Amino acid sequence: MKVEYINPFYKATIDVFRIMLNLDVKRGALRAVEELEPVSEANVVIGVTGDLRGSLLYSFPKEMALEMVTIMAGMAMNKLDAFVSSALGEVANIISGNAVTHLASSGLTCQISPPQVFVGRKGSLSMSTEKAVVVPLITDIGTLEVTVSLHRSMG
Amino acid sequence: MWKEHYRIGSELIDSQHQELFDRVGSFIRAVQEDGAWEERLEQVQATLEFMKEYVVIHFRDEEALQKEIGYPGLEKHAAVHDAFRAEIRAFAQRVEQEGFDEEKVQEFAARVMTWLIMHVGKEDQRIGAFIRSQGGQQ
Repeated sequence: MKVEYINPFYKATIDVFRIMLNLDVKRGALRAVEELEPVSEANVVIGVTGDLRGSLLYSFPKEMALEMVTIMAGMAMNKLDAFVSSALGEVANIISGNAVTHLASSGLTCQISPPQVFVGRKGSLSMSTEKAVVVPLITDIGTLEVTVSLHRSMG
Repeated sequence: MWKEHYRIGSELIDSQHQELFDRVGSFIRAVQEDGAWEERLEQVQATLEFMKEYVVIHFRDEEALQKEIGYPGLEKHAAVHDAFRAEIRAFAQRVEQEGFDEEKVQEFAARVMTWLIMHVGKEDQRIGAFIRSQGGQQ
């Protein structure tokens, strides 16, 4: 998988976190993985089709997820309920949407599917054997890990 | 929820934005507070009813401002407003027919919250930048 597919997600996260959460984001060391695997409790999966095909997995530690929604709502959140889950799904959706816009400006037209949110580490989600890259996105309230598995469509 | 840096430099629009954030804030509190759902439902219904009407007024006023100042992104911005207005209407219709299910309302509250933050925090700020580029306050 090409590294130029990663940067749009980093850029989009910086932008969205600054607007929605007033938080700075730093990128940690990338690592290659064989599977799409949830590393934290709160997870959002988004499918990608078009010039690139594949999946995105946003994995948020529980405390970070709760703090993010606390910041947005101006009200303390203490459980990963439907409100918090949906808010995380929306944030991941907005980041992915912005990233896809960045990709489009480099000539890659893609569409994203609605976010699917699940709580807990359920093991591997990957159906393909294609490699993926984990991008750790470090903030003052925790580290979000985005697994990007995108590949050029055939034909 | 409201932040001072959301101001775009129009007194009317800024005060409407504040009102929207306040109402969405009370909507979230009503949805997320402890206690029986039936007891919170009245507040949820009242806020939804208010929002349905208030977004119509606010979007209309904001689009009128954009027209008045010759904002170049008016058409695109109005399309975003239309889509969101339709979403609120569809949700209101759905809960009227199917009932106010707590989880559905929680999901909707999260959608409204994130939409409002991104819309006012990003898209509306372009109107503010345009106003400033034209030399100031409306």
